[in-house]
Amino acid sequence: MVATVAQCVLLPVLGIVIGLFFLGLYRKIMARLHWRYGPPLIQPVIDILRLFFQGGMSHGAVFDFGLVLSLAGAMAIILFIPFAQWCPLQGSGGMLVILYLMLLMPLGTALSGGEAANPNASIGISRKLILALGYEVPLLLILLSVMSYYSTISIVDIVRGQQASVWALFSWPLALPGIAYILILPAVLGVRPFDTTTAPQEISSGPLVEYGGKYLAFEHIIHALSLFLGISLFVNLFLGGAANPIVFFVKILVVFVACVCINAVFPRLRIEQAVSYLWKWPTAIAFLGLVVVSLVK
Amino acid sequence: MDRNKIGKWLKQPAKMANKYSLNAVYFCTGCGIIEIPPVITARWDAERFGIIPVATPRQGNLFMITGYVSLKTLRAIIRTYEQMPDPKYTVGFGSCPINGGMYWDSYNTIKHLDRYIPVDGWIAGCMPRPEAVFIGVTHLWTLIEKDMANGYLRYREHYDQYRGNQEKLLGKLDWPPLYATGIAQKEIAA
Repeated sequence: MVATVAQCVLLPVLGIVIGLFFLGLYRKIMARLHWRYGPPLIQPVIDILRLFFQGGMSHGAVFDFGLVLSLAGAMAIILFIPFAQWCPLQGSGGMLVILYLMLLMPLGTALSGGEAANPNASIGISRKLILALGYEVPLLLILLSVMSYYSTISIVDIVRGQQASVWALFSWPLALPGIAYILILPAVLGVRPFDTTTAPQEISSGPLVEYGGKYLAFEHIIHALSLFLGISLFVNLFLGGAANPIVFFVKILVVFVACVCINAVFPRLRIEQAVSYLWKWPTAIAFLGLVVVSLVK
Repeated sequence: MDRNKIGKWLKQPAKMANKYSLNAVYFCTGCGIIEIPPVITARWDAERFGIIPVATPRQGNLFMITGYVSLKTLRAIIRTYEQMPDPKYTVGFGSCPINGGMYWDSYNTIKHLDRYIPVDGWIAGCMPRPEAVFIGVTHLWTLIEKDMANGYLRYREHYDQYRGNQEKLLGKLDWPPLYATGIAQKEIAA
């Protein structure tokens, strides 16, 4: 009991720390790829500290509520996704809960950004929802094939099944969904080729256009958490989770660095290009994977 | 990070964070903006000092005015400045915001920017090189350290004069005052 409560408190904190480390690493790796020196690794922490000390302004009750909803959703999912052997709420719902809770982050940001009534924010929100529509289709097919292959909805059982035999990415019926997940991973994380939502040069950073001070700091934290969540879901489903936290951290670090290095060389896609890509190759591969899994089963 | 600074970080986290996270709103009024792309990209890399450009005034704390300021632009500058959250620092870049520069006798540009919004520092030159921007930034660090970069406090304190100067130049302003002015201010004090 005490251990569960301790995990419920500590895992979100761990998620925020790792997410902020990833944000710093992202900026540093991008800088090194540009042949620049780059900011210090703790620059996102400095930024967030500065934003907390800077006065921001709220744009209404829904503005605050959407932000809280988004942050709470992100923190709640962490309790359902195993971090190595720690998964405090493993008995309840598994993948289905994760699927529902994953909607809270974009919806909260959309509510909150929409309250600010800035045209740029509206464009950003519509882009975010269209992009979510784009990657949810292959994502659902992928999750369906994983769940039906292991015939369970519990993510802990899926991890256990992989540790008993072989990682899902390298087991032949699940290789196709794994490849499809790799193809949509940047869209789920919202990084480089798919960062149309918060494009600073086109729509003044989209939904975040009216955020300042502590509100923007919370948005940075939510972004860090969403990076952490997207990657740990992939590691748990296809790279066999991990038996201890250090191995798990190394795995998410490797996936993240690979993701950044590949995506650093791509320019930003337009939203219709992104959706036509997401509904073409990843969806086709995921669908093929689902057919293969259902034939094997 | 420099290990000598850890004590400072623990003593004054707000000041240190303000120093090392300058998110800049570049107001490209004139030719000065041509020097900014080299500053923020690979050649001079301002990001190693924590300086990155942001897209909206709500997110920034460094306001840089690069080039001459025409009457029409001044309206936009004032509104942008008033939208930025405190603490905020303003830097005039190039000769023109300082004293008019080569537009010293133009009928349509203002000659002294600091009559209309408070300015914390100047980077003189026509054009200043990117190195001058970094020297300006290190000077701004010193000013923040000594609590001398207090333009946003001066704006609040002398808002009557600033607003008066703005109205004298631009006529009636079509946005409400940021702080209480004139009689209202005296009423609050009483």
